[in-house]
Parts: sequence; C-alpha cells; structure tokens
Amino acid sequence: MAELARVKRQLVSDVVRENVETLHGLPPRPLRRPRQRRLRGGLWRALGVVVAPSLLFVAASALPTGRAERPVPSRPAAAAPAPATSFPAPQAISPAAFPLEVRKIVLDPGHGGSDPGAPATVGLWEKEITLDVAQRLRPLLAQAGFEVLLTRERDETVSLRERAQFANFQRGDLFVSIHFNALPTRSYRGIETYHLGPTSDPHVERLAGAENRESGYSLADFRRLLEGVYVHVRQQESRQLAEAIHRGLTTTLVRGNPAVRDSGVKPAPFLVLVATEMPGILAEISYLSNEEDARLLKEPTYRQEVARALFEGIRAYAEARRRPGGKGSA
Amino acid sequence: MTKKSEPLRVGIDLGTSRSSVSASSGARHVVDSYVGWPVDTVARKVIKKSILFGREALDHRSMLDLHRPLERGLIKEGSEKDEAAVRELLRHLISLVGPEDGQKVFAVVGVPAEALRVSRQHLRNAVKGIADSLMIVSEPFAVAYGMDALLHTMIIDIGAGTTDFCVMNGRYPTEDEQRTLLHAGDWVDDQLATYIRTRQPEAQFSVHMVREWKERWSFVGEPKGPVMVTVQVGGKPTSLDITNEMRRACEGLLAPIGEAMFDLLARVEPEYHERVRNNVILAGGGSQVPGLAEALERTLGEVGSGKVRAVEDPVFAGSNGSLALALDAAESDWEQLPG
Repeated sequence: MAELARVKRQLVSDVVRENVETLHGLPPRPLRRPRQRRLRGGLWRALGVVVAPSLLFVAASALPTGRAERPVPSRPAAAAPAPATSFPAPQAISPAAFPLEVRKIVLDPGHGGSDPGAPATVGLWEKEITLDVAQRLRPLLAQAGFEVLLTRERDETVSLRERAQFANFQRGDLFVSIHFNALPTRSYRGIETYHLGPTSDPHVERLAGAENRESGYSLADFRRLLEGVYVHVRQQESRQLAEAIHRGLTTTLVRGNPAVRDSGVKPAPFLVLVATEMPGILAEISYLSNEEDARLLKEPTYRQEVARALFEGIRAYAEARRRPGGKGSA
Repeated sequence: MTKKSEPLRVGIDLGTSRSSVSASSGARHVVDSYVGWPVDTVARKVIKKSILFGREALDHRSMLDLHRPLERGLIKEGSEKDEAAVRELLRHLISLVGPEDGQKVFAVVGVPAEALRVSRQHLRNAVKGIADSLMIVSEPFAVAYGMDALLHTMIIDIGAGTTDFCVMNGRYPTEDEQRTLLHAGDWVDDQLATYIRTRQPEAQFSVHMVREWKERWSFVGEPKGPVMVTVQVGGKPTSLDITNEMRRACEGLLAPIGEAMFDLLARVEPEYHERVRNNVILAGGGSQVPGLAEALERTLGEVGSGKVRAVEDPVFAGSNGSLALALDAAESDWEQLPG
C-alpha cells in the first residue's frame, strides 16, 4: 500500500508538471523515457571506490550527538579499515572533468505531516512555508527547462530516509532541501546554506541533530550510507551548489529585507544530505523565531521572492556546469 | 473550511463517441459526444434552445449544425466550431454534476492519447475557462490510475476514434510506452458499412444506424444468434442478415491490436513480460465486444500465455479515474493550473 501511495504521489506530480509545462507553452517532451545514466552512475561509483576510504574519517568527525547520531561502531576486524591517518590524502578530482548537465532537480520541502518543524510567530508552521516555497520554485525551474520533482506534494509525514530514497530512485541531478530556522534568541535573523561535511560548530551540530530526527534510518543503514559516500567530488559539488544558492538568496532577499544577516555557507552532517547520492544542499532561509522574518514569510510575495532567489542560485550553478571548464559555482 | 466552500472535484472522460463525468459529490452522467447549434432562426424557434447535446442533438440533427468534436481522437486544427463544441460539451458535463453557486470546480479531463500527443497546446486553449482549475491527461492513463493498475499493466482503451495503448510501469508513461491506432469503433463502422454495401449495393442506411447495429450486436468468434437488421432497398424495408459482415468488421480489430500489443511488449523489460501479459485490461466501449478479450488472450498465447480482462464499468472507468486523480491532487497543485 505504501508503494502504491508513493507511485500515485509521483504520478500526480508528473501530471501536474506536464500540465504546468503546457500552460507555459513548453513543447511536449518527445520521449520521456528515463535517461540512460549508467555511464554516469558507473563513473560516480568508481569515484566512490577511490575516495571512500577517506569517508569514515570525515564522517566520524561529522557525527552530531543525539538519537540518530550515535557513534558508528568499528567494523569487524576482517573488514576494519586501517586507521584514518594511514590513508593517503584523497586526490583532488576536478568536477570540471565531468561537464554533465543538470536536468532533474529534486526539491525537498522540509518537515510535513506529524512533523511540523519550527513554529512561526505568525501562526504558521515551518512545514507549511517549506512546501509553499517549493511549489513556487517548481514552475520557475520548469520554465527554465529543468525537470522538477518534490519529495512531498502535500502536508504528509515523509521520513528523511524516504526523501533520500525518492531522490536516489529518481536519479536527481541536484537535491535542494528547504528549511527555515528558529532560535530561542528571537532577535537573530540570517540565511544559512549547508552542504555535507564535518563541523565543530555546536550550533550547527544542534541544528543537524534537530533536522535529523525521525530519519527512518537504523544505525546499520547509517553506517552503510557513510561507507557509500564519495566524499570529495560530491562534497565539492555540493559546496559549489551551496555557494551559488546562498549567493542567490542573499543578493535577492536583502533587497526586500535589508536587515537579514548573511550567516554564510557551512558544512554540516544533515542525514538527508548524507543519504542522497547527488550534490545536495540544505538551506535554512530565514528565522521563523524572528518576528519580522515571520511577518515577511506570511506574505505570498515574499515567499515568491524566496522561491525566485533559490531559482537564481540553482540556475547559476547549472549554467556554470554547462560552460566548458565551468567549476560549478557561478 | 466549510463543506460548501470546498471545491467540487470532477473527472471527465472526453470521448469521441461518448463523454462521461464523475464528481466528488457522487453525481455521474454520460452524454453522447454530439453538440449541435440550430442552423437558423426557424430551427431555433422549433427547438427552443440555443444549443443541444448528446442524444437530443442527434435526434434533431436535421435542424442542427451538428458536431462530434473529437473525430479520430483529435480536435480539428483551425475548426473554431469544433473547439467551441469541445468547450460547450465540457461546460455541459460540469453543469450536469451541479456545482453550487460560487463553488469552485477543479476538473481533470481525460482525452484520447492522440489528442494529447498531437495538439496539447491547442487542446488546452480550447478548454480554457471551463473550470477554475484544470488538468488534462490521456484517457488510458486515467483508466489505469482509477483502477490502481499502475505496475506492469497494459491498458487498451478501445474508443470510437482511436484505440489507445499504454503500459504502466509505476511511472508516468513515456511515448515509448504508448500507442494509438485508428482501428477503433468508427473504423469498424466504416468496415461494416462497406461490407454491407458490397453485398447489397441498393441498401440505404446511415452511419448512425451502422453505429447502433455495432453497439447492439458486435462480436468476435461465434455469434449468439444471427444478426438481422432492417434497411431500405428500393424504398422497401428489407430484412438483412449481416452476421458475417459484423464478424468480419469486428475481427478486423484483432490483427492491428495484436501487433501493437506485441510491439509494446517487446519494449517491456524481459523480467516483467509475463506480468504485463497477464495483466492486460480492455477499456472503452470496444472492451464490451463479446469474444474480443478471449481472442486477444489467444493471440497472446503465441508468446506463452496472457490474461485479458475488460473493465467492469466501461462507461465511467475513464471519468472515475480522472476523478481519483482530481481527489489526489493537492490544492497547491490546482493553484498552478488555472482553468
């Protein structure tokens, strides 16, 4: 039943997308067969084999504390990796070696259903705003020729595991997770964009711990995920995507909200970024705990601005990837 | 939100021959896909209506500019009257399920796959303004969705203008997973009329009569009894046995449908072949032709085995599927799709 519900959700999403494209005058896709991406998958897998040994080292330092963040036990002796210090430093591989186009983008409206996320001071929940922004972003991307999928289409509970599985199953080229932050210090305002990586910032650790709740992963799953991450290239791509999106967010949103603070691009071990197989970021776009940010986010025009800002960032990243010698950042 | 202010969700099967509508209120209706306007002021005075639909339009056809707007599964490009007919037919179908004053209408319209493939922009423009929010889908997809037949299933929707094929693999079907044939109900009518005229050149009958004969007595294989019709020959009503002509016309569908089935099966991943072969669903008016499902099963026997079944409710299978989609779409989905 869950599989049927998932398939139906995806089909509704596809129908809506196709109709939106028709409304915007886009021609029908002549052949909408799933793309043949074996070569690409093979390349990434090969890279994974090359750089995986560095992962445990990086991931171990990345693990935040909390339910989903228990320390990864060491593997059995036969399979145990040598101490991290004995590994050669991973060789840098330029993403420019893979000038592959961005076509399919998976948008992940954070929270939903029984997990409302942070409350806003204006009677809204984070889950409502993330979904609204994702739905505003979708037609912008579709008009620009991207194929867009959402991890959830309505107010429903979708675990982090399901979100990541969906993105991986759909073979998305990019994964963009949309969130809004909240702090006890209500005066704080800012935009933060995260990519996968270790952190020693206690604030970021706490945030990752909160966002990683209800992940749906077991510890064994988590260990396997960590072992499967090809850290270097995907991290680098994710960082460049984060920088492009962050630039889009800060330059666009500051115009209508000059008091907003640029809190920077940061690495963080969000599970949803660990488990997805494509470059991904998690944007904490504003602080719902701040009265002014919350008031702005209640306005549809501002939420449209947020969607536009995300769009500008994604487009800049995709265009840079398309340019010969482009490094992914705009 | 009060119940009254909730949008009325509507599923429509816009067919070449018949169109049906199913609504979230539970109402459902079917109408022959005919739209007619009185040809002059006299006709308007006699009919006392500015536009007629369905059977009523057919019955008054001599006084009407009569349109069957989705002939061969397409709206004729550049035919303003056909576009207007599609629009009016949809408005009529929605009015039949009775939205309350001021109640929003969210509609999913299933159309022949060929119409969607060839002229989706044209179709979208033609149906503009008939609902507050509107989606268009292909008919076989709507049938599959309504039956939850979304995995390893082949839908064969035998309509009047086209026979649409669609293989469902758990995702929105690609064009590679769909086929459209013009071998459908109207084609059978043409064949039947030709065979009868060949045998009895003086026989006088109309296309509407042939359509009615087919709908009452079509069959594949062995008939339940002789098919006897009355035609005018030299001005005299004459009884004619058209059993062989009927069989020949209906069985003419088998070869092209079989060929398209095998063509689509050849594109199915080998591990799923058997599951698709055993999950063939016939929809549309043609699905009710006695003996057709069994004959197609025998055809599938050439490559092993197969199971072919007809939908239980061919009249409403499409509109019920469209309604299921309309109910599953979130309000935010509808907001992106103004009618």
